[in-house]
Parts: sequence; structure tokens; C-alpha cells
Amino acid sequence: MTTQAEPSQHRSEDDPRIMLHGQMGQYEQVPPYPPRTEREAEFYTLGDGEMFLNMGPQHPSTHGVLRVVLKISGEKVVDLDPVLGYLHRGVEKLCENSDYHHIISQIDPLEYVSSLFMEWAPVMAFEQLMDVQVPRRAEYIRVLTGELLRVASHALFQGWMALDLGGLTPILYSFIERDEIVEALAALTGQRMLFNYFRVGGVNGDLNHEFLSRVGDWMSRALVEHEANIGLLNENEIFVRRMRGIGRVDRDTALRMGVTGPNIRAAGVPFDVRRSHPYSVYPELEFNVPVRGANGGGDSLDRYLLRLDEVRESIRIIDQCLHEMPDGPVMARLPRLMRPRPGRAWAAVESPRGLFGTYVISDGTDQPFRFRIHDPSFVHLQLVGMLMKDNLIADTMAVMASLDPVMGGIDK
Amino acid sequence: MNRSASPASLIGRVVIPLLLIALVVGPVAVVFLATVIGPWVVGVVNSNLGILRFVLAIAGVLLFSIPAAFIIIYMELKVIAYMNLRVGPNRVLPAGAAHSVVAGLKVLTKEDFTPNGADRIVFTWSPVLVFLTAVMTFMVVPFGPGLVGAPLNIGLLYLFAVGGMSVVGLLLAGWSSFNKYSLLGGLRSAAQVVSYEIPLTLSVVGLILLAGTLSIDSIGRQQAGWVWDWFVFRQPLGALIFFIAGVAEANRTPFDLTEADSEIVAGFATEYSGMRFGFLFFAEYVNVFIMSALIVTMFFGAWNAPVDVNWLLRLVGVGPLSINLDPGQLGSSLMAAAAVVPLLATLILAAPVYLLRRHRPAWQALLAGFLLLNLLVLGVIGLAAYMDWDWVAGLVWFMLKSFVFVFVFVWMRATFPRVRIDQLMGFAWKWLLPAALLNLFVTAFAIVLIKSAGIN
Repeated sequence: MTTQAEPSQHRSEDDPRIMLHGQMGQYEQVPPYPPRTEREAEFYTLGDGEMFLNMGPQHPSTHGVLRVVLKISGEKVVDLDPVLGYLHRGVEKLCENSDYHHIISQIDPLEYVSSLFMEWAPVMAFEQLMDVQVPRRAEYIRVLTGELLRVASHALFQGWMALDLGGLTPILYSFIERDEIVEALAALTGQRMLFNYFRVGGVNGDLNHEFLSRVGDWMSRALVEHEANIGLLNENEIFVRRMRGIGRVDRDTALRMGVTGPNIRAAGVPFDVRRSHPYSVYPELEFNVPVRGANGGGDSLDRYLLRLDEVRESIRIIDQCLHEMPDGPVMARLPRLMRPRPGRAWAAVESPRGLFGTYVISDGTDQPFRFRIHDPSFVHLQLVGMLMKDNLIADTMAVMASLDPVMGGIDK
Repeated sequence: MNRSASPASLIGRVVIPLLLIALVVGPVAVVFLATVIGPWVVGVVNSNLGILRFVLAIAGVLLFSIPAAFIIIYMELKVIAYMNLRVGPNRVLPAGAAHSVVAGLKVLTKEDFTPNGADRIVFTWSPVLVFLTAVMTFMVVPFGPGLVGAPLNIGLLYLFAVGGMSVVGLLLAGWSSFNKYSLLGGLRSAAQVVSYEIPLTLSVVGLILLAGTLSIDSIGRQQAGWVWDWFVFRQPLGALIFFIAGVAEANRTPFDLTEADSEIVAGFATEYSGMRFGFLFFAEYVNVFIMSALIVTMFFGAWNAPVDVNWLLRLVGVGPLSINLDPGQLGSSLMAAAAVVPLLATLILAAPVYLLRRHRPAWQALLAGFLLLNLLVLGVIGLAAYMDWDWVAGLVWFMLKSFVFVFVFVWMRATFPRVRIDQLMGFAWKWLLPAALLNLFVTAFAIVLIKSAGIN
């Protein structure tokens, strides 16, 4: 018995046993559905000599599962359309259905590169709701581990930046730095990546000997290694020329778009949550807020160099924390089952990517009524459409890498 | 157990009849070959010596290109690994020496996939074209004095003509893949290779004026003597331009835009798999070797040693060395020596190994001694060949110098980021081309000046 093939079906040229659906020209139809908005209709209309290039979600340099549909004319990017949601887990809803302790582990994998900051913001918000005074030693431990992780995150950024521009070696050097820190944190928390260490009212455990010896070992040569990593790359003519003048974000644009973190400091605005809205024990610590690109807006190179400056400041903070660490408990006394007062709380921390904030509404039960996340990567991704236009395909990598987005946080 | 009892094993049942057949057929065949076929073959060979030489040269070049690519691939894996503070391949053979060979075999066993919508014929044959153009360039590269596939007197012209053809293969591969990344990679390679062909060619014109010939063999001969006789000291700018343009021609970092993995995935090779990918992959490394070989041939003394050995020997008071040993003179003592010397030498060489490692079995020491003896003999033979035949010496120096440049290529890959396409084109047209023209004019002017002054 033979089955009649539908007219839209044809046999694969590769293997005649395989039936394919649709016409051969189906590849030309992007997207395969009629446009839903005016913007989509405009974007998906090709001009003369233009074509679409679908970058991602599986692409070596989109930092995860970001998909960008580029409309290109030759090598030039005419227009682009980022498509999000490939890593969407519904973290906010998950958190609303978990109790307050559980949220810490739910929110951990948001920005898997620097997950302690993801724990820090909700923990601070819950402490506001519960009116808990966190012990000073716990605050110092939080700052210490956080700044260590900031160095690790920026080290990864430096390596990825070079890798996206075609340099093979720097990422392996910066991974050494990152690995030493991550191993130390693993000795403290038991995990290498998703630490699950902060608790409402303190931290999960006191500093142990292995952590301290590893950190001390690393601190003894941290600045030297940092300088060595800088020397590996920063005076490379090709590297500098690839990044100078690319992806300029001026002061006004940065403020208007809600950019935070290193990206706004590279645009000449000295905004740092640690100084502007002080939290934890940062007011007691000495550190500078490095600013670059004061005249004419920050380009990719400014954003890159600013993160290197921040590493130096973080090492200063770690040094102070280690020297001024007070004695005492690391956890406040709290009931096992937390039922905070009804109310709302906002807490923000300066994550390596910028202002990471959580907004919690409590209705007096053991689960938050509403839980909202402000993620800096998501805000910075809005810049991509503006920065990549009229650049070359190769520049999209320089711009994207210099904004340092993490897809976990963007897709939530 | 109803296994039939057979007196002969499987091997016996196959080999013994074969032996019997060979005993009968062998002599007949020998007589037939010697009387009927032999003279005919000799006649054909004698009358077609040129063609035969050409075919042999092609076979040699094809056979040489594969191990050369394997060595370079292994070198790249290992050198970049050490520069990255990694270990690199370390599984197959000691230090992973056969890693690239095994990877090559793996490529052979993979599915040869053609994407739907691709132009099948072009898609299939363009890697072959790319590989062939790379290998064809080998034909005029002199590996030693007289050791050249085709001693053309317009070798340089042939070189640039054939080398420029590789862009056609890359473009076809990019176009026929039915993939936008491939298309971009193919177009990039077309733009890049065509642009850099011009400074590459112009940088050598000054050298051609100096040497007065287009024959690569002759250019090599003119650099005999000391280090300062190499053309790099008379054409430093030309050598620099040739090197940079050569890196771009071979599509290597920092000019590897055609296969920029962070931008266009793998460029023209995106849709290729199996041996078709293998051809593209090998072609890249063959190109690296060819570029190194050309730089060495034209600017770094070709096969010549950096020191004038004969001059040195005369300084010491020794004439040009050659080995005049006639084994026939030794007679029966040669037989005795052949029987006794290896045994004695094995025992002598095994003795220190045995004394140092007494806890090991004695046969291991003996094996080590035997291997050492073999190495020693090979070394002596090699040394004799080096001193006696100038092509062996030339081959050694040529390979040594070529692989120094291959190392530089690999080193650059580990060190540099990638340039952007506009920077790449700007560099070729705004810097390299004027510099090459300047080099040409200065050289020409200097030659005219020297000739009119009546020197030489």
C-alpha cells in the first residue's frame, strides 16, 4: 500500500526515504508566521541587498542562549532584533511559591557567574521585613565573599572579552584567577558555582581554616597576577583598536536607559550602589569608585578597563575585610519558619553587572505575596539594539561582550 | 562437540596452497617479466622520463603533505596548550604524539553530510579544489638543492597563479553550502585573499629584480654562504611584507576572519563534515607549511646552512669532508665485524641501563641497549649522509628553518586577537601596498644606481 504524498511534501535530496514538509523556499520565510506588530513588519521586510543572519540561540559568542536576528547588508548590521526567553524558568513565580529560606536557592542560578549577589539582595529585603539586625561578623563575611566573587566575575569577563575578539589565551589565564577564588569559596560553602551561602540574618557558617588559607594564599599574589593578566592583553594593538570607539554610550543615554554598574561608570557617571545607597558595612570600608569615559561617552574599551580598575578596588576591600573582621556570631536568632509582617521591601546590591534589586511584598504568610527581580543584564541588553546598528558583524561581539550580560538573569 | 578434526589450522589451509601456487607461478612470472614486459617497461620509462619524474614528484608531494599537516596540527595543539598553561593532547602515544593522526582517521569515519538545499556537486568538489591548490604549490618548492618537484624557470609566477586559485575553492565552498555563515566566510576569504595577493606579489618583485630570475631554485642557490648572504638582509621590508601578507593568505590569526569562530561560527567550513571537512582542514595546515617554506626559500637562505661549512673546514685545515669507505676491501673481517660488533655494542650499551635499574628484568636493559644501538647507527648513517650528500644537508636545514616559521605562525595564533574586516582591508591597501611599492622602487633605483656606477 502506498501513501499519497501531500503537494507540500518532497523527498530529501540526502536520503529519499525522508519526507520533508513545506516548500524548498521555506528557509526564506523569516519568521514563519505573519508579523504581529508594526515593528516586526518593518524589521522583517528586507531592503535591497540585505539578508537576515540568525545568531543564536546556539552560537559561540552570544553568552548563553541569546538569539539575535541581524539584518545585514554585506558586513554591516542594518537592524537587529534580540529574541529572549530561551532560558526562562519563571524564577519570580517560583519564588512566590517558595518559603523565604527556599527562595535563596531558587534565585541562586539567575546570574550563575556571580550567584552570591543574587542571594544578597533578597536576603537583605527579608531582613528589612523581619526587622533583623545582622551580626557585624556576618556582614563582613558577606562583603568578603561578595568582593571575592566580584573579582572572579570580572576575571571571567576579561577572558571572554578576549575570546570574543579571537584571542585564545587570556581566558585560560583569567580562569586560573577565577578558579582559585571559586575553590576557596567552595571550601567555605561546599559549592563551586551556586553557593547558597547567605541566610536571612547572617550566613550559613563561619569562616573555616581552608577558606582563610586559600584566600590568604591568593591575596599574597592577587595584585601581581592581576597586573600580569593586564599586561597580557591591554597593550595589544589589535585588541585596543577593536574596542576603541565601538559601542559608545554617552552619559545621557546611560541615565535614560537605566544603565547601572560598571557600564554606567564607564560612561562617566559615578553611580555605585555601595556608595550611593550604602548597605552592609560598605560605609566603613575605604575604596574608590573608578570612573572612566568622562568626555564623550564610554566605549567598549572604557567598559573593559573600568572592570580592571574595579578588581583593584575589590582587592583593597578584601584586604580590609580580612584585617578588620570582628569576632562574634554569624547568624541572628530567628524562628525556623519565618512569617514577616505584612509590608513591602526593596533591597539592591551592587552586583558585578550593576544594580541587582529585589522587591518583596509580604502578606504575613511564610511565602512572599509578590517577588520581583530587577536584573542589570536585562537593562543593559536594551542598549544592544542601539549600539550594534551600523556597525560590522564583528563589532557586535565587542559590544556584547563589553556589556557583560548573563542570560540567566535576562531570561529569569 | 562435533567439531571436524582437521590436521591443518586455518592459516595452514590458506598459506600452504598459496605457497605451492607461488612456487609454480613465481619462476614463470619472473621469466615472463624479464623477457617480455621488462624491456618494454624500460623502453617506456626511458622515452617518458620527464612525465615519469613529474608523476613521481606529484606522488611524493601528495604523500609528503599529509604527514606535514599532521605534524603541524600536533604542533599547534601542543604549543598552544603550553602557551595556555595546559597540557594538551597526551593520550595516544607518549605526549599524545599520534593525536592528530587519530583525529585524521576519525574524520575519515564520520558521516559525509550534505545539507538540504546545497549545490551537491560544487559542495563535494570545492574542498578537493582547495586541497589541490595547496598541494600543487608544493611542486615548485625546493626542499634541497635539486630536490624540487618541477624545476620551472618561472616558478614564482606559477606559485602566485596557483596560490591565488585557492580563493576560488573557498568561495565555492561558501556559496554551495546553502548557509549564511558559510556565504559570509566565503566572501570574506575572497576579499581577503584577493587583497593580500597584491602586496604578497609586489613584495617579491624587488627580490626578483635583485636575483634576476623567476626560478625559485635559482633564488635559493644565490643565497649560499653565510647568514648575511640571505635575501632578508637585502630586502628586509620585502620580507616583512611577505610574511604579513603570507599570514593573511594562509587565513591564520590575526587574519583568520574566514573562520572566525566567535563571529561566523566556522566560516566556509560550517556545513562540512567528514573527509570533506578534513580536506579543508588539511589545506589550511598545508598552506601554513607552504607559506613558511616560501618565506624560508626566498628570504631566509632556502636550504643553505647559516654558516659556510667549507670555509670553516678550510680554516681548520681540513678539506671538504667525504666518506670513502669501500666495504669490499674489508673482506672476511667485514663479515666478522657484522656478526660481532652489534652484539658487543648492545651488551656495552645495555650495561649502564642494567646497573642503574637493577630492580627491572634484564631483558628490558637488553632491549634498551638494542634500541640505543639502533639510534646510534641511525645517527651515524644520518651524519654520513649529511656530510656526503648536499641534498640531505639541504633538506635538514630547510625543514628546520621552515618549522621555525611554522612555530611563529602557531605562536601568533596563541597570542593575537582577530582584526576586523575593515581594519584588515585598510591595512592591505593603505599600508602594505604602498610599502611594497616603496620597496620595489627603492630596490630598482638602487640596482640602476649600482649598475650605472659600474660596480659589478
